[in-house]
Amino acid sequence: MEENVLSIQNLCKNYGRIKAVDNLCLQVQSGNVFGILGPNGSGKTTTLGIVLSVINASGGTFSWFGKEPSKEDRKKIGAILEVPIFYPYLSGETNLKIVADIKGCSYDSIPELLDIVDLTERRNSKFQTYSLGMKQRLAIAASLLGNPEVLILDEPTNGLDPQGIAEIRELILKISTRGITILLASHLLDEVQKICSHVVVLEKGKNIFTGKVSDIVNASTLVEVAAEDMASLELKLKENENVISVEKENMIFLVNLKESYQSDDLNRSLFSQGSTLTHLAIRKRSLENYFLELTS
Amino acid sequence: MFKLLKIDFKKIRGSKVFWILTGLYALLIILFFFGVQGFLDNLAEEANKKSPIPLPGLSAYSLPDIWHNLVYIAGYFKIFLGVVVIILITNEYSYKTIRQNVICGMSRWDFLKSKLATIAMITLFATLLVFIIGSILGLMHTDDVTVGKFFGKMEFLLAYYLEIFTYLCMAFLIGILVKRSGFAIGLMLLYFYIVEPVARYYLPDYIGDYMPKHVIGTMIDVPNTSIMSLFGVSFQEYVGILDAALVFAYMILFIGLAYWIMKKRDL
Repeated sequence: MEENVLSIQNLCKNYGRIKAVDNLCLQVQSGNVFGILGPNGSGKTTTLGIVLSVINASGGTFSWFGKEPSKEDRKKIGAILEVPIFYPYLSGETNLKIVADIKGCSYDSIPELLDIVDLTERRNSKFQTYSLGMKQRLAIAASLLGNPEVLILDEPTNGLDPQGIAEIRELILKISTRGITILLASHLLDEVQKICSHVVVLEKGKNIFTGKVSDIVNASTLVEVAAEDMASLELKLKENENVISVEKENMIFLVNLKESYQSDDLNRSLFSQGSTLTHLAIRKRSLENYFLELTS
Repeated sequence: MFKLLKIDFKKIRGSKVFWILTGLYALLIILFFFGVQGFLDNLAEEANKKSPIPLPGLSAYSLPDIWHNLVYIAGYFKIFLGVVVIILITNEYSYKTIRQNVICGMSRWDFLKSKLATIAMITLFATLLVFIIGSILGLMHTDDVTVGKFFGKMEFLLAYYLEIFTYLCMAFLIGILVKRSGFAIGLMLLYFYIVEPVARYYLPDYIGDYMPKHVIGTMIDVPNTSIMSLFGVSFQEYVGILDAALVFAYMILFIGLAYWIMKKRDL
């Protein structure tokens, strides 16, 4: 039976009258790559801060690996919260050594990790001399120290150039194949769509949606069609009982089909009615559309 | 505990500010005691010339009294060490590294222990400094050195350790409370030189005598040098057990408060 890596029950955090986290419930299973989405101020960082024991909850409980939370769990978790935090006057390598000491793991993996994030050349430079991208990369190296079972990444691509973003995406995908559970808080919805298996959407501290990415993306089939005679095509589409809706978009019609009805079924039906399509394409529903629908 | 000290030392090793301030403190103390030596010797000569009776080997630096004398004067310099400790703890807040340490797997209690271990080391350094200076000056200025004389009043070194450690715990507490170095140093100076003295002036003795600065500062009383005895004034020549216990109680209080504040707060 799959055990919950992280279980959050009715979590609350109030700052005065502001409810930053409002009765939040969430279960994360081993191996999930969980995207945490939400507008700014929705409680993402606060929630992560609570489960990492740096923010005190006002109510509710959480547990790691099915047990009462303790510092030993955190040694098995690699986390970046908001911004990379290190000692500015110490070198990148020394900073990593301090993290290794706290986690109780050896320094052996440090050279390899520095290489993975491409910081080997600058490992002896003081952290305060690093660019934002380098700081972010050092934070990722630190989070990988000690072979963590869980990674918590809060906007890991913040401030990176497109190349950096792609590299981090590749890194996260590679890590996820090792069976490590990943919690990824991000604004980049197409990144989340590419990387994550599950999403939870937060708004004003509440969990407004939890589900699998594949469910959202494959939820309904949207098909683009066009023909020489657009008017007659439109009539035939509207008569078709398997069509939920028809929307005109520039040179094509965007057709929402019922679940069991596929694009080839539509093609066959229209052809038999005398309409030859000049354009037929499947449009995948995007996470971005769904998210904007949810939070508007 | 040793592991925690190792972690904290790694953080401090690279801090220029720490080494410069600590170095200056050491330099200050060394120069003061060796410099003052000449001044006191002069004083003694003059006093000897003018008095009708020959004064006994008058020297602040003769064993065993030197331990009491040095420790009493050295106590006035503890403010510099207080500044060092405040900077060490407030840096962890301003860099937010205390937050990251906890995220990485340190408990707040571990973090506190690591800082206390560092404070213990700093206090040890200060005490060793006095011990070395005392040994050198004492051997130079004593007529016949015996083991008894050398170790005679060394309990003052122990009291000195307690005084400095407790004082640094207070500085540490202020740093945790206020989280910003300038503010914390200012607050500590304000309290020490203005708030408590003024409060003690107005408050009745049974409260005033138990306020922290007074308790910590007077555990080691004004030394009873021969000059003073000329005027018929007598002071405490030993460290009272009750006084030491009170200082110890304050130490526990400061550490307890520090832990409570750290636990209650969001990092």
